[in-house]
Amino acid sequence: MKKNSFYLLIGCIAVALLVIFWYSIENSVHFFTESAFIIGVVIIYFARRRVTDLVEDERSAKITEKAALRTLQVFWVLFAVFSIGTVTSLFRIPKFPEVFRPPRPGELLISSGDIPSPKIIGYLSLGLLCAMIFLYVGFRLYYARKYGEWIIDEE
Amino acid sequence: MKNKIKVFRAIGGLRQEDLANEVGVSRQTIVAIETGKYDPSLDLAFKIAHYFNVPIEKIFTYET
Repeated sequence: MKKNSFYLLIGCIAVALLVIFWYSIENSVHFFTESAFIIGVVIIYFARRRVTDLVEDERSAKITEKAALRTLQVFWVLFAVFSIGTVTSLFRIPKFPEVFRPPRPGELLISSGDIPSPKIIGYLSLGLLCAMIFLYVGFRLYYARKYGEWIIDEE
Repeated sequence: MKNKIKVFRAIGGLRQEDLANEVGVSRQTIVAIETGKYDPSLDLAFKIAHYFNVPIEKIFTYET
């Protein structure tokens, strides 16, 4: 398989995943989009091994390694902030009224504002996912430039 | 690290593409080494020196 065909395949998979993602949201089927994502990654992995005109050498490995390391170094801080926030909400001690009275039947002592809703967690997860992708692409571009990826030689 | 790959290539009448194929890297890596953007690993440096049949210090020199 040629390099350009591989990139085309990645584009097609990305579009297909977007369509499946949309369908899953419309029909509230989480499993569908999750399994489609895993299948997409597996297809890309096996297609990548069949690419013949893409040379992986120590410089490209170093670019990938450095970009991944820097992404991890920044991302774990963001992820820790998100996790600490949600864990704090999870283990938060409910507020009791100043004058204690036994709860009425069916009354909740925890107000709904104490626990973050799944929707907010979803938005935060989406933000983290986007941040991770942008960080990786950004660092990859930076290190590719640093290690001479786009130098135009006289030859 | 400075290197004289370009000089040795010129002597041998070798293209970047040819050297890259001989030592198993991409042409862009040879370009990056020649322009000083990337310092090769010891393994690659020895491969290049071995290809030109000269001691490694003839091609690569360390400068602080």
